[in-house]
Amino acid sequence: MRKHFPRNLCIILSALFLILYSCTTGSCYEETDALVKASFYNYKTQKLQAPDSVTIYGLNMENSKLYNKAKGVQPALFPLNAATLSSKFIIKINGKTDTIEFRYNSYPHLVSKECGISFYHNLDTDRIFTRHAIINIYIGNRNISTVNEENIRIFY
Amino acid sequence: MRRIYAFFISLQFFLILSLSHVQAQDTILFPLKIKVGFEVSGPVIYLIEKNNLIAEGFISADINEKYAAVLNAGYADYNYSQYNYEYLTNGIFIRAGVDINLLQPKKSQGKYWVGTGFRYGVSHFSSEVPVFGQDTYYGTIKSSIAPRTDWVHFLEFSPGVRAEVFKNLSIGWTVSLKMLIYSTTSKDLRPIYVPGFGNSGKLLSAGMSYFISFNIPYKKIRVITRKEEPEEPEDTGNTGTSGNRQQTSGIRQ
Repeated sequence: MRKHFPRNLCIILSALFLILYSCTTGSCYEETDALVKASFYNYKTQKLQAPDSVTIYGLNMENSKLYNKAKGVQPALFPLNAATLSSKFIIKINGKTDTIEFRYNSYPHLVSKECGISFYHNLDTDRIFTRHAIINIYIGNRNISTVNEENIRIFY
Repeated sequence: MRRIYAFFISLQFFLILSLSHVQAQDTILFPLKIKVGFEVSGPVIYLIEKNNLIAEGFISADINEKYAAVLNAGYADYNYSQYNYEYLTNGIFIRAGVDINLLQPKKSQGKYWVGTGFRYGVSHFSSEVPVFGQDTYYGTIKSSIAPRTDWVHFLEFSPGVRAEVFKNLSIGWTVSLKMLIYSTTSKDLRPIYVPGFGNSGKLLSAGMSYFISFNIPYKKIRVITRKEEPEEPEDTGNTGTSGNRQQTSGIRQ
């Protein structure tokens, strides 16, 4: 019996591993959209403060509002168009309307095998915006990815 | 002249003692083999799914009863599609290293192997994304990524078992744990599958392989299975109990 131990052990363990080892299709649990994450700051206090009302939509896309008189938006998320080199947005802060333009370049990024490929962006340093409600814009992190970190600060 | 005689007599005496020492050890004849084999699961999965072909073969030569030099080589043609992209890759890989048998020669007998392998691997492959799409605020954007070739170097640790089920025919499996050490791949477009390394271009990869091998015995070596036990030192009485001391002293008297 002792003599045959290794052979028996091999067969039993092989069968066990064959049963246990199987391919599984994974699901995507990760964020796949790379969005500009913009935090609102009170210009006077220089502290984080969400506006009382925010409306945001892409230029000429009034029917597809990203935020519609929303309260407590912090941060606001701006999707960039990977098919173009710039994206313009209409932003209404507390009833005053401004326009923000982002200029950037886009590149494909593999999020994961399960989640597939998404476009990441690199923001230009240009800050193009009107100044009705917005006083200033600060670009902190130019890399627009799926990572949850602040990219720009909007002072109003 | 007398000194020369004395020298030769001493030499003969020493040789006789040495021979008697060797004869006191247990030895077995251990067959060293050259093994030629292939991985089974890759072709089987290909026959079932008709999608991804992963073919791998190996040749190994026993250096002694414990160590064997091993060379694995293979080819992989891997396709993967998910809801928003398609990925194609194909390439070759080679792994070289040693297998270490942890079984005692008496148990192993050149037929059984329970041990581990260490390998250094290199993979050269081409990959492309013919199409991918992303649903965005602006609609679905479609694009593609052109083919590119890359190199990946990795280390492999592969414990497993193997048994000779028929004369000179073995089957076995190994669990392979691989660590990527160098890659020319892009940070943003890590390969989903690296031939020889496995799924994903992450730092670590794990997998299993099932092997069938044909064994060709090429040499037999004599392996010592049990060394002669050293003679026990005589009891001088220094470490014994007081009773023993008394007994020893009694004998001396």
